[in-house]
Amino acid sequence: MHALEARHAPVVSLWVWYQVGGRNEVPGTTGMSHFLEHMLFKGTPRHPKGDLDKLLARYGALWNAFTSEDVTCYFETVPAERYPVALELEADRMRNALITEEETQAERNVIVSEREGLENDPSFLLGEQLQAVAFSRHPYAQGVIGSKEEIKLMTRDGLYAHYRRHYAPNNAYFIVAGDAPAMELLDRAAAAFGPLDAEAPIEPPKAPEPPQYGERRVIVRRAGGALPIIQVGHKAPRAADPRAPALSALAVTLAGATAGGGEAASGRSARLYRALVDTGLATTVDASFQLMKDPYLFVVEAHLRPGVTHDRVERVILDELEKVARSAVTDSEFGRVRRQMLAASAFMTDTITWRAWRFGQLLATGAAASLGEWYDRLAAVTAEDVRAAAESVFQEKGRTVGWFVPEQS
Amino acid sequence: MDVRRHRLDNGLRVAAIPIAGLQSAAVLLAIEAGQWFEPIGRPGIARLCALAMLRGTTTRDAKAWADALDGIGAAARLDVGSHAATFSAQSLGSDLDVLLELMADAVVRPAFASTEVELVREQTVAQIDDDAKNTRAVAELAWRELVYPKGHPFRARPIGDLDVVRAASADDLRDHHRRAIRPDGAVLVVAGGVDAEQVFDAAAKSFSSWRGDGSREDRKAPDVRLTTAVRKLEVVPDKTQSDVVLGWPGLPRTDPRFVSARVTNMVFAADTFASRVGHVVRDELGLAYYVFSTLGGSRGQSPWVVRMGVNPINVERAVSTTLEELRKIVDGKVAEDDLELAQDKLVGELDVARESPAGVASLMLEGEVFELGPDYAERYPRELRAVTLEQVVEIARTFLQPDRCALAIAGPPLPERD
Repeated sequence: MHALEARHAPVVSLWVWYQVGGRNEVPGTTGMSHFLEHMLFKGTPRHPKGDLDKLLARYGALWNAFTSEDVTCYFETVPAERYPVALELEADRMRNALITEEETQAERNVIVSEREGLENDPSFLLGEQLQAVAFSRHPYAQGVIGSKEEIKLMTRDGLYAHYRRHYAPNNAYFIVAGDAPAMELLDRAAAAFGPLDAEAPIEPPKAPEPPQYGERRVIVRRAGGALPIIQVGHKAPRAADPRAPALSALAVTLAGATAGGGEAASGRSARLYRALVDTGLATTVDASFQLMKDPYLFVVEAHLRPGVTHDRVERVILDELEKVARSAVTDSEFGRVRRQMLAASAFMTDTITWRAWRFGQLLATGAAASLGEWYDRLAAVTAEDVRAAAESVFQEKGRTVGWFVPEQS
Repeated sequence: MDVRRHRLDNGLRVAAIPIAGLQSAAVLLAIEAGQWFEPIGRPGIARLCALAMLRGTTTRDAKAWADALDGIGAAARLDVGSHAATFSAQSLGSDLDVLLELMADAVVRPAFASTEVELVREQTVAQIDDDAKNTRAVAELAWRELVYPKGHPFRARPIGDLDVVRAASADDLRDHHRRAIRPDGAVLVVAGGVDAEQVFDAAAKSFSSWRGDGSREDRKAPDVRLTTAVRKLEVVPDKTQSDVVLGWPGLPRTDPRFVSARVTNMVFAADTFASRVGHVVRDELGLAYYVFSTLGGSRGQSPWVVRMGVNPINVERAVSTTLEELRKIVDGKVAEDDLELAQDKLVGELDVARESPAGVASLMLEGEVFELGPDYAERYPRELRAVTLEQVVEIARTFLQPDRCALAIAGPPLPERD
């Protein structure tokens, strides 16, 4: 349990990070953690279905949940005086969710609908395939939401077993940030979660990804998009790796600290923006290094202008990756990168919700033990660190390239 | 909140909200240059003009401007909506003067170089092409075309019509800039780790030279009413889900009934969990992953719409369920608790929004743009609380008639109707 003071607004944001996600699933049950996340909103004996929703709505709370490959996360940002209620709701559903047969059936349709909404997006379709091809053994290949077929086969009993096994205080991080002394925030949290029983420790999944020995490629041909898309993924180290801060800086070097469409004004000095958008080859480009528990991917994604070929854009992307791996960026360029990275850190921590989220993310993935430690490590990154990180990651042997090719309807 | 206000000689209104303990400042510059102020019959000019403003000025080319912005690590974007073109940004508080100078450079002195105009035009054409395969965008456009007559500023989406975008010249953009990008009617809101004097000084230094040409034009648009239910299905191939837009023309933000309408919207469908429709369509029946309604605020009748993503086999049921919930409101069958929940939600959100400088700036913006009074921030929660059940029913009867709605659906073909 960790608490941060944030005294500029009468608000508290609390987060519970369960150490379970797509990474903990096996074929046949893909999407189970995400399905379970939905079921945690369907009531407990103490708070029947709808109770939590209405209580939080009444407080004007900002609240939600998400599931990733690594974690399942629940949060509430509430007026400070409502902190005890939000705590009680989270502690209650940590062990007492009902997960009834009836609610499982009803929610299945909602989750299928969520999946179908994602399938309308060509970028999702390509990304799902890229992930599946990039990983041959590690469960990161499976993504998060699961296949529609497996969602339809998910059983109430399977979900409940998954819940009892993974939802326990010894398998979660609790983070709170808000308008009270940190010890007071912690004492209240300890009182809420302390009485809950622990479960047997959970072994991390044992499916390390074997080395990759050459480029892999995937093509998705669909009529559901007008613009060609290209995604280039390279195997990248886990969040706890010493290169993680430099890889974060590398993503900023290539695509800026804030992504966005034509309306975005920042990030336009970045290398890939200059090479692809300023030259009229692409409408948008992004680069991302995510903090993950296990080695994942450094992904570049570009949406091409109509008539521009995948080959051409792929060549430009690979040229830029090769350049940044070969020569260190200039002082002035690195000055911009560093400033964007550190300013983005400040922007994030100036919002109470995101301050708590960031801290939880660093802890849950093993990236750092505190916001300060992570900031210091980002601030210590040098131009040579960025080059060396690029050189270590941008290897042909660890590359997976995906093309979305629009078909005529 | 400690709100300080100042007006520059050119008419630009500045509001500063210092927040102790923060490193950054959020900046919102709202210019009355959205769709409502576009040249009649030229949808897309406002957005094209805004995007071109980000592509170089008379003092810096696009590359130099981008280098300078990234050099202070600021995040910034310029969006065109139904009412305003809004430049939103965030920087470290110590960089505010540089940020405002860069924003002013883009706003006051855009170069509109032909190569840059061509670049944003081609980007926009590509986006319009892509949107033709995007079910949300297709449903949105189909809905607007059902509701607003030709020539109405809200008939198109802000991205505009392909023909207008293709034909727009640099001179067209200069002309729009000269008429619409003006300080009178514009508002600058800065919230966060800054002090008020710093904000006023930096604003004066950067924006004092901004001048409007002539006087502001007062745009008028014909009153829009639906006289019957209208419906349009757009089949978008190779899609799994249908996107649905169901709605009515709304009311101007300056209408005295607008706050009541906002509460009605929350009772009806604004929130998946606090509103009647979300509760029934998603929670009880499991018909949709997302369902919510929005009520736009502008000087005209912005869309008042419910949006949902639904499997094609569930579209008819989701729509009829939504209209059944609406009929209950129109018939006066609204529980006191539904109204209280809606009011609690709307008032509570105001407190929670204070968690970030951007949230504080956004809270202030609406009152400043529509000149709702210096006490608006204090008055607004009371106005929300004062809305009665009778007012909710009256608003629904006036603006949300279930048998006079427009329905647009985009996605796979729908199954045959019984």
